[in-house]
Amino acid sequence: MSVRLSLDNISKTFGDGGEGRGLLALDGISLDVAPHEFLAIVGPSGCGKSTLLRIAAGLMPPSAGRVEEGGRPVTGPPDRFVYLFQQYSKSLFAWRTVLDNVMFPLESAPRAQRAELREQCRSYIRQVGLAGFEDRYPWQLSGGMQQRVAIARALAAKPDVLLLDEPFSAVDALTRMELQSLVLELWQQSGFTAILVTHDVDEAVFLADRVAVLSARPSHISEIVAVDLPRPRDQLTTREDSRFLELRHHLMSALLGRTAHGATHV
Amino acid sequence: MSERVLSRAVGLLSLATVAVLWECAARYGLVNRVLLPPPSAIAAALRDLIADGDVLRPLLHTVYLFVIGYGVACILGIAVGLWMGCSPFADGLLEPLVELLRPIPKSALVPALFLFLGIGMATMVTIIAFAAVFPVLINTYQGVRGIDPVLLETARTFRCSRWTTLRAVILPAAMPAILTGMKVALSLGIVLAILAEMLAGLDGLGFVILDTQRAFQTQQMYAWIAVLAAFGAGLSLLFDKIEQIAVPWRGR
Repeated sequence: MSVRLSLDNISKTFGDGGEGRGLLALDGISLDVAPHEFLAIVGPSGCGKSTLLRIAAGLMPPSAGRVEEGGRPVTGPPDRFVYLFQQYSKSLFAWRTVLDNVMFPLESAPRAQRAELREQCRSYIRQVGLAGFEDRYPWQLSGGMQQRVAIARALAAKPDVLLLDEPFSAVDALTRMELQSLVLELWQQSGFTAILVTHDVDEAVFLADRVAVLSARPSHISEIVAVDLPRPRDQLTTREDSRFLELRHHLMSALLGRTAHGATHV
Repeated sequence: MSERVLSRAVGLLSLATVAVLWECAARYGLVNRVLLPPPSAIAAALRDLIADGDVLRPLLHTVYLFVIGYGVACILGIAVGLWMGCSPFADGLLEPLVELLRPIPKSALVPALFLFLGIGMATMVTIIAFAAVFPVLINTYQGVRGIDPVLLETARTFRCSRWTTLRAVILPAAMPAILTGMKVALSLGIVLAILAEMLAGLDGLGFVILDTQRAFQTQQMYAWIAVLAAFGAGLSLLFDKIEQIAVPWRGR
């Protein structure tokens, strides 16, 4: 199996005063992500899921262990890794219109290409369903629409790996489902590798090829579950599939610290 | 809308009342007309100043002085504030100096500056810039430090260079705070410009206000004060407009 991103024995200690008395958040996590895979990482809140994703994105160095992408060690944010933040409103540039926000990753391109790139950005904006809002400012849009802008901006960077840090947790339930379907559709069209961190088991099962379960702090991977649900997935039929419910039951019991009853082995 | 009109009308009413009381007090000898002429006499003096174009030279002198001093203060304050906000080294290096100089009432330094720079433009511009630089610097610094880490990490994930991050993310994100500082600096700058002109005694609104007082031309003195007030109010209005255009997202 070829590997797009590999986490090798990652540990992270916070506030270490040099006496080893810091808070051990992540304890020896190893995880390989295949190209074009959709991997979800679930865990109880405070288990260090986001920390793990930030380390994978090169935003934060691990205390021990190695991150490699395509065989090269990661020391800073790698090229074409795009991070989708939970706090979309803080991640967008308030002083830029929707179109200029989406243009942001492309601004280092030569001037001659600008007009063409702007057209491309308009098409990304259409893809996320915001046609007609190009000239609005982020603060004039609803939360769900702001996250769509962030998604369009991520697309403009032509991501090879998209890192999603609980991106749908701050919007209402219906908007969340719409955004999940949108990301799934874009993932299927563009073929990037997706790594999603979430505390929502349903979301993880609905979206992912594999779900890694993190234990409570100090976190390690307690289990990796393959999600063998057919694609394309649908918000109604997939969620009603008996296999979906089995996987959900299994993961929920793992997170709630119960042994699974009646569920088949996965 | 009609409520706004009403509150404007009530506001004008209080102004009109004061003007009428003042006019009556001066006309009927409740106050000395020489010390406090009635508004009508001041208005007449003002009209004369404007009609003969006498208003221009002192006004332009003050504007010239102010624009240079204020401009230097803004450029310097923003540059140093950004540097201190972005670099822990610069912060450590300059913070004690800034905290030492900031509380000094800048007007106290005018006589000392006369010793070094002489009685002239150099001193006046220096003192205006010196007074106006601190609010700009401090607000820029705090604006940079207050930027949400998510915004900076967004720039990092798009692999922006340091320069791009500064120009395209940090500077615009700190802009509301920078403009707040520039607004405080505006009034401080005017105060110091007028004071410097009074002390240097060469030209400008500060000079003519003091000069007409000494010559006992109180009507003219008050007319010049009105010119100064209009100058200050005009700058303030202009600034509000700039702020509305530059940071429309402020407060959202």
